[in-house]
Parts: sequence; structure tokens; C-alpha cells
Amino acid sequence: MEFSDEELCRQVAGGEASAFDALVERYQARAYRLACSILGNEADARDVSQDAFIRLYEAASRFDERSKFSTWFHRILVNLCIDHQRRNRWWRKMVPIGKRDDDPDAPEIDFPSDAPGPDVEIIRGESAGRLRGALDKLSANQRAAVLMQAEEGFTSREIAEVLGCSEATARVHVHRGIAALKKILKGEEP
Amino acid sequence: MFAKHPETALVPYLRGELDRDEHSRVESHLETCARCRASIESSASMLREISEKVAQIPEPDWIRYRAQLRRRLAARREQPQTWWRPEYSWMSLAAAGALAATIALTIAIRPTQQLGPTPPPVDQLALEDAPADLGLLRDYPVVEHLDLLENYDEISNLDQLAPAASRNEKSSS
Repeated sequence: MEFSDEELCRQVAGGEASAFDALVERYQARAYRLACSILGNEADARDVSQDAFIRLYEAASRFDERSKFSTWFHRILVNLCIDHQRRNRWWRKMVPIGKRDDDPDAPEIDFPSDAPGPDVEIIRGESAGRLRGALDKLSANQRAAVLMQAEEGFTSREIAEVLGCSEATARVHVHRGIAALKKILKGEEP
Repeated sequence: MFAKHPETALVPYLRGELDRDEHSRVESHLETCARCRASIESSASMLREISEKVAQIPEPDWIRYRAQLRRRLAARREQPQTWWRPEYSWMSLAAAGALAATIALTIAIRPTQQLGPTPPPVDQLALEDAPADLGLLRDYPVVEHLDLLENYDEISNLDQLAPAASRNEKSSS
């Protein structure tokens, strides 16, 4: 019998070790992949994704099922990734796109181009390395929002729950993140 | 119709997240706005490229990954129990005592030779730093007999010091 994530989490809260193993096996690849995309480093991704599972084990009894388990777990994971970056990259100046990355009330970013063709061609020709480099220049929230959208297929509402913001703000993060990526890849970064 | 371009609704539109009303509004806008059509196309392309290229990461050995996770979890479970269990609390006290003794010993046996100019004594520095407070202290008669406090027997008779000081002042004047 296949238990749901939520049921397995309840069992973990009750001290069932096999339920924890089942959740780890179910989420390990997604957690590792998302952490690696956010952090850009395999060793950090391994440590931080394991940290997320440890937090899951310790906090399982506090999962109140107001959100889906996957959203709750990704909130733990993404917060750990963002904290890890803030702690370990304090020396590194994150290149902001303007000064208004995370302020939803700030004026809107100009679209890179009005013409329908060239952007798509530029994006399609990009290597994984250049895409990662461009992602790395986004703010932590923008990067996490774009990656959750692209990799996990999260909705704006789920991204909002993970990042602890409103749905409107989550949409702004995704929009500005993608707009900034287009600018960076076109060589228009400030 | 939108008063301006529905930029933040384009990706949700693409993903089918919008409710019927908003979906219809975006759809009508897209029919007349080449800029938003271009944007939605390039956004879709960007998300697809990220999904196909950035997310393709070599996976680790999952057996080792889970073994390492179990070890870390076991270490984590043991750590707080050892520290908080009451039967071990004396051990933490003993460790703190040993640390304090080590620091005291280090201070006691440190070399007396100074490399630079000898700094003024600590009490002198304190006097320089707190003249206002000293003004108050000087008015307090017990302070005149601080040397007596080195003899702990005097502390039990502390209340008698103030009248004695007053008597001394009267006799000297």
C-alpha cells in the first residue's frame, strides 16, 4: 500500500523510522536537484538537502496539514538554501538588477525587447553554464521562485507558501527573475 | 482590458493558473499586444531551458547519501540528549569549571615582560574613564576605608564604618 506524503509525515511524527526512509527516498532527488540549482554547488546541495530532511524529522509533529506536505518540505529546503547562501556568501556581492529586486511596489523592469523573435533564439542557444551564471545573479527569492516554477512546476500560490509571501509577490518574483535573466543573457546587465 | 501590460500574470497564464475572468482578460490583451506575446513566448522558452539544462545535474550515489543522512541524524539525536539530561549536567558544570581554571592559570603564568610600553594599571585607567562616578564615590565614607575591606572580618562590621569615618573627619577638622 502506497501512503500519501502527509500520512508518512504523520508516521514520522509518531517515531516510525521506515516512514522517514520512505519520504527521503521519495524526495531526495527533487530536494538535491533544487538545492543544487539554487546553490550551484553539489557538495553544498548534498549537505543542505540532508539538513532539510533532518529538520523534517525533527519538525514532523508540527506539520499541521494546512498546506501540502511537498510545499511544507520545500519551504524548509528553500529557507535553508537561502540561509546557507547568506551565511556563506557574505563576501560576495550579489549583482542586483537595479535596486528594486524584491520590492513588489517598485517600478517595473523594462521588457528586454518588443520584437517577438530574437529573445527566444538567444535563450535556446544558451549553455547550462551561462544559464546557471545568470541565475546566480538573481536575488535569492527570484532565483528560488524561478527554479521552483521551472523545475518543480510549482504554481504561484505554492511558491508564495514556500517563500512566505503573498501570491502577488510570488508572481512579481517570477516575472522579475525571468526579465532579469533575459537581460543578463542579452548582455544588458548593468 | 488592462490599463497596462499584465506582466506578472503572463507566466501564470502560461501555466493555466489564472481564474476564468483573469484568464479571459489576459487572453484578450494578448490578441492586441505583440510585446506581451513576445514576452510570454520568451518566458516559456526560458523556463523550458532552465528545466532541461540547469536541472540536469548528475545524481549522487543515493545509498551513500542516505547512509550519511542517517549518521548525521543519529549524531544530532544524541547531541541534545547528552547535553540536557540531568544526570550529565554535573559534567557540563565540571567542564565549565575546568575551562575557568585553565583561563585563570593562563593569566597567572603569563609572561610579565611586555613588548611595548607598559600600560597604566587597570585601576588608574578606570579612574581616568569615570571621573563623574568617582565624585559620588569620594563622598561616600566607606570608600576611604577600602583597604579595610581586604580584611573580610571588617565586612561584618560594615555598618560601623560610616560613623567612625564621620568621627575621624570631625576630629581632624
